[in-house]
Amino acid sequence: MTSRPIPLNDPDAGDDTTTPGSGHDAPERKRLTKWQLYSRRFARNRPAVAGVVIFALLVAFALFGSFFAKYDHVELDFLALSDPPSPEHWFGTNNSGNDLYAMVVVGLQRSLLIAVVVAVGTTVLSALVGTAAAYFGGRVERVSLFVIHFLMVAPTFLLLAMMSNDSGGDWKVIALVLILVSWFFQARTIWTMSLSLREREFVHAARYMGVPGLRIVLRHMIPNIGSLLVINFTLGVVGAVMAETGLSFLGFGVKLPDVSLGSLIGIGASSISSAPWLFAFPAAALTLLTVSMALIADGLRDALDPTSAAGGRA
Amino acid sequence: MTTPVLSVRDLTVSFPSEAGRVDAVRGVSFDVAAGRTLGIVGESGSGKSVTSLAVMGLLDENASIGGSVTFDGQELLGKSDAQMSKIRGNGIAMIFQDPLTSLTPVFTVGDQIVEALTVHNPKLSKRAAWDRAVELLRLVGIPRPQERVRSFPHEFSGGMRQRVVIAIAMANDPKLIIADEPTTALDVTIQAQILDLIKTAQRETGAAVMMITHDMGVVANVADDVLVMYAGRAIEQAPVDELFADTRMPYSIGLLGAIPRVDKTEKTPLVPITGAPPLLVDLPDACPFADRCPIVTPECRAAEPALVTVGGKADHRAACIRAEEIRAGRIDGGPVYPVPEVPASRFDEVPRDLREPTLEVENLTKSFPLTKGAFLKRKVGEVHAVKGVSFDVREGETMAIVGESGSGKTTTLLQIMDFAPQDDGDVRIVGTSVADLKHAREERALRRDVQIVFQDPMGSLDPRMTVFDVVAEPLRTVGTAAKDIGPRVDELLDLVGLDPAHSDRFPAAFSGGQRQRIGIARALATNPKLVVLDEPVSALDVSVQAGVINLLDELKGRLGLSYLFVAHDLSVVRHIADRVAVMYLGSFVEHGDVDEVFDDPQHPYTRALLSAIPVPDPVRERTREHIVLTGDLPSPTDTITGCAFVSRCPLYQTLDPAEQTRCETEVPALTGRDGVHVNACHYR
Amino acid sequence: MVVAVTNLTYFLAWAYLDPRANYVGRRPPLSEEQIVNLLEPRDLYDGTPLLVRWWHWFSGILFHWDWGVGPTGQSVNEQVAYRMWVSAELMLGATILLTVLGIALGVYSASRQYRLGDRIAQGTSIITMNIPIVVAALGLVLLAIAFNETVGTTVFYVTGSSSIGVSGFFPVLVDTLQHIALPTLALVLIGYAQYHFLQRSLLLDNIKSDYVRMARAKGLTKQQAIRKHALRTSLIPVTTQVAFSIPAVFTGAVLTESIFAWKGMGQYFIETITKNDIHGVVAVAAFGAVITAFGAILADIAVVVLDPRVRVS
Repeated sequence: MTSRPIPLNDPDAGDDTTTPGSGHDAPERKRLTKWQLYSRRFARNRPAVAGVVIFALLVAFALFGSFFAKYDHVELDFLALSDPPSPEHWFGTNNSGNDLYAMVVVGLQRSLLIAVVVAVGTTVLSALVGTAAAYFGGRVERVSLFVIHFLMVAPTFLLLAMMSNDSGGDWKVIALVLILVSWFFQARTIWTMSLSLREREFVHAARYMGVPGLRIVLRHMIPNIGSLLVINFTLGVVGAVMAETGLSFLGFGVKLPDVSLGSLIGIGASSISSAPWLFAFPAAALTLLTVSMALIADGLRDALDPTSAAGGRA
Repeated sequence: MTTPVLSVRDLTVSFPSEAGRVDAVRGVSFDVAAGRTLGIVGESGSGKSVTSLAVMGLLDENASIGGSVTFDGQELLGKSDAQMSKIRGNGIAMIFQDPLTSLTPVFTVGDQIVEALTVHNPKLSKRAAWDRAVELLRLVGIPRPQERVRSFPHEFSGGMRQRVVIAIAMANDPKLIIADEPTTALDVTIQAQILDLIKTAQRETGAAVMMITHDMGVVANVADDVLVMYAGRAIEQAPVDELFADTRMPYSIGLLGAIPRVDKTEKTPLVPITGAPPLLVDLPDACPFADRCPIVTPECRAAEPALVTVGGKADHRAACIRAEEIRAGRIDGGPVYPVPEVPASRFDEVPRDLREPTLEVENLTKSFPLTKGAFLKRKVGEVHAVKGVSFDVREGETMAIVGESGSGKTTTLLQIMDFAPQDDGDVRIVGTSVADLKHAREERALRRDVQIVFQDPMGSLDPRMTVFDVVAEPLRTVGTAAKDIGPRVDELLDLVGLDPAHSDRFPAAFSGGQRQRIGIARALATNPKLVVLDEPVSALDVSVQAGVINLLDELKGRLGLSYLFVAHDLSVVRHIADRVAVMYLGSFVEHGDVDEVFDDPQHPYTRALLSAIPVPDPVRERTREHIVLTGDLPSPTDTITGCAFVSRCPLYQTLDPAEQTRCETEVPALTGRDGVHVNACHYR
Repeated sequence: MVVAVTNLTYFLAWAYLDPRANYVGRRPPLSEEQIVNLLEPRDLYDGTPLLVRWWHWFSGILFHWDWGVGPTGQSVNEQVAYRMWVSAELMLGATILLTVLGIALGVYSASRQYRLGDRIAQGTSIITMNIPIVVAALGLVLLAIAFNETVGTTVFYVTGSSSIGVSGFFPVLVDTLQHIALPTLALVLIGYAQYHFLQRSLLLDNIKSDYVRMARAKGLTKQQAIRKHALRTSLIPVTTQVAFSIPAVFTGAVLTESIFAWKGMGQYFIETITKNDIHGVVAVAAFGAVITAFGAILADIAVVVLDPRVRVS
């Protein structure tokens, strides 16, 4: 009857109704039901499912859109300068005669690639630093927190702009710099969550068994913040897309001849009243991307959260 | 009998859930009369708390409630929130389980009492309301109420906060007080104070009391009538003496048989109830206890038995088709529950002096620095959590440390598990001093010999690992060959009474008692000599607790283990331990053989502790002498020059001034018969 | 911390920015000597050892509060002093509006959990929160232009923070409102949702808490208990969050200011980087750090005021 700490993310702890000891069903089925539970909860969340569909369509568009393109994104059609959308140029052209459809496909590819790389990088880095700082405590914790707090005060967006501007718009450098300036927010959240994880008895138990520290971090701590990491990853994609497009819009990010959604919007912005399609198409693609990803993250949060009240509704 | 204050008829409550509709309460009926106390007993999930919340109208909106609840002549079900709010806190008051969270942290206690007063009497002047708040605080025994009324909840201890909650409950002279496990979160000495206080509140207001609890001792202490709940239904209902003297329903019998008794010397094994309560989803029309019942018959599964009068007594009712065959917990001349066998230990015949020590602790001390200031932390003092504790544990023996929260018992245990080197003392495990450990490898080797079992069976198993991986982890850590791990895990699971075929499931698929067995299997994996047990059964329901205690007893005998056992529950300690130490504010106040200490407690603190535990026997409970300690544990930051117990000691009050001075200035040492029974009191 | 960050930025800025680049490709081309003559007095000549340059710059701040000059000779102090208020005008208004809107929606949503109102509000918020600020701002520009054309006069200005030649209290007020409306709206649109979600979930947690149940058991209705007991405690973390997110608003303002052509700190930030204005960049960094520190202090004060538990210890 002592109060039990609320599990961070333990789907089965919330509903203890899962058969205590009624023991005939095969273990495989047991595991399946766990995933079934997640997917059932997720599928019930209609916006989240819509998010998945939109996101899948966008990815398909980025990957296969170029097969349908009549022009290459660097090719210039001098007969069609600043043309509105037409059967020839589906999304219209810009003032140099670039086909906007082809550019949006390439821009979306670029934006997605950067976003995924950054999200993976941030998630891994933040998970390692956050959990290790919490588990080891002492000097490791102090140093990590000092770095994190220092970066929080540092004008990261400015550094980001300076460094990526200097790189001449190489997307790999931009991705790397984006990872460097965005991991620490997540690392701090993970650190606070891991602090309570550190005090969980199964972590103590592992330590008293003599399990080495690094193995405890990898085998006990990180798996138990798994759902947080999944959510962080999806939100990290949103954040990275926004940061990258913001930079590219200002001209500090991806530079011509390479294009990203941000730089396309930047070009579109200058002729927003005379050629609004140049703004509208990349902007629509970008918004769909961020919103769909956010809907997915939201759905995951509900599905993976044992305390979510939405889960209680059959 | 007068008309009851509260009359509940055929109450049903159900909630929607992922697995289907959960029928938490399935047709419960009872009456509570003014000035009487109804005890509702049951284990977790029996529907007892849901029943009380249904009466208060405080259930979630998604709950569907049926039946009838009549209070003071009015039907409560179907009333709107606004209508109910006129009754709540006015006619019916409620005391919740956890005093630490039931007061709003950002308002003073005075504000919160005044709010309870003014919400029902809008005309009451501010002045008068505050005066009444101070008066109420005095009534519930808060010292210096005039000042304390302006304190915030976090400035009070748990017991004090529960007093404030009771003051709020008494504020409007309610006709019915519902107390939902009001003492579960509190220490025994505080529990005794609070139970007394609730009785006082009942006398002052003449209210009817509904006492919800899982503790048969508390029921025996306070209740006039008892209702036993199981799987959402009342399964036995009787006046308290009748229920304890002539128990009819097998579940109630099991519940009583499963409790270790602090007042009984002989060590017969406890009688556990096997299995776990059923899920309250799609229950078949059968006795819900049938699967766990030792005297089940095919008819039990034909239909759910109704609650009917038994033994020709109008006020004793039970829901069992064999109730008439059962008399006073026995059937056909034998006990309803077969008494399990516990194997004898090979050490039983060996005198204590001849056994090897597995753990020797000498002058163990732990202090935490007390810092001040947010930016520049400077040390302003030290808090001694443990002060010079010495003891040893020998082969095949159970040493228990008992104490209330804040006594330092868990810190002692963690110091040992941390292998913390001592400045002016030593910790030796199976002969190896922790001060001699130089490499991580040596440390890991020593860890094979000492393993730990934690309190919370949920928290101590990694939810992301299968049971196999959980039990295999210590084996992998000590480098057991991969091919040997599988058979060893199966062997261990079998040893603790689990089916090895279930080892690829996740811990969440097991019940609390089974999870604790998994934790024990893990602890035994490396064949340790010493197992440290940190409150291993306090998170379990009593029926399950008995099974785990028996298992520990059995393993000790079979494997020749030593246990270092830390607990706050003296009944469990009496049952399981060979040696016991009573800890108060970081020091042992009494230490010796378990029967010596329990049968002849010498230190005033031990005496108070023992007398504060309610025993599950209403007749004895009424005649026993209860020493109710005043006040709380002093703060560990207070400087104490003499005996730490002076501030609460009943003996000290009776001494003459010269003797009192000695208590205040001189730290008492442990004296008495060395190794058999010592205590730290100048005058005992 | 602020001092350390500022100095670090100084060195980083020198590593990435080259003031000389401003003169490359000029017509007629400038001789090396001319360039040196232009840069030397401004402490921007890279022939001088870095530490000497740094000490000149740093002592100037320490002793005269002089943050140096840009490559074209304009004083950083003057620029920041003027631009700071332009930004503050925008940021302060937007922060207040979006906080109030977010909290109000959060309370509304929480008290109608899973009902239609809550679902609509949440659905809207999750979309607005994730519209990139660039898209939101430019979308608003398009709408405003369309609106202006329909009405026939310029109701909303899409560029600048004020018109030239407006005087008198009311004309200035109206003119300011016409300018500030769109950028504020853009910031509020994308910013309010985080407080909506935060307030909603905190309030829901608190509604389920024991002390709210206790308040109801005392005889408060559910609504009273939520208003009096749950809201107050849930406001504490929201307040700290608001204080901590002030720097984020500033970052958001970079894009907004550049789209709406406001001459504020955000736009200064872009200008200084493109013009290799090292002293300006460092000043922007210092400004950012000060704001962050200020936010942190504000958060601490807010907690102390709101939470008695902290007040005592």
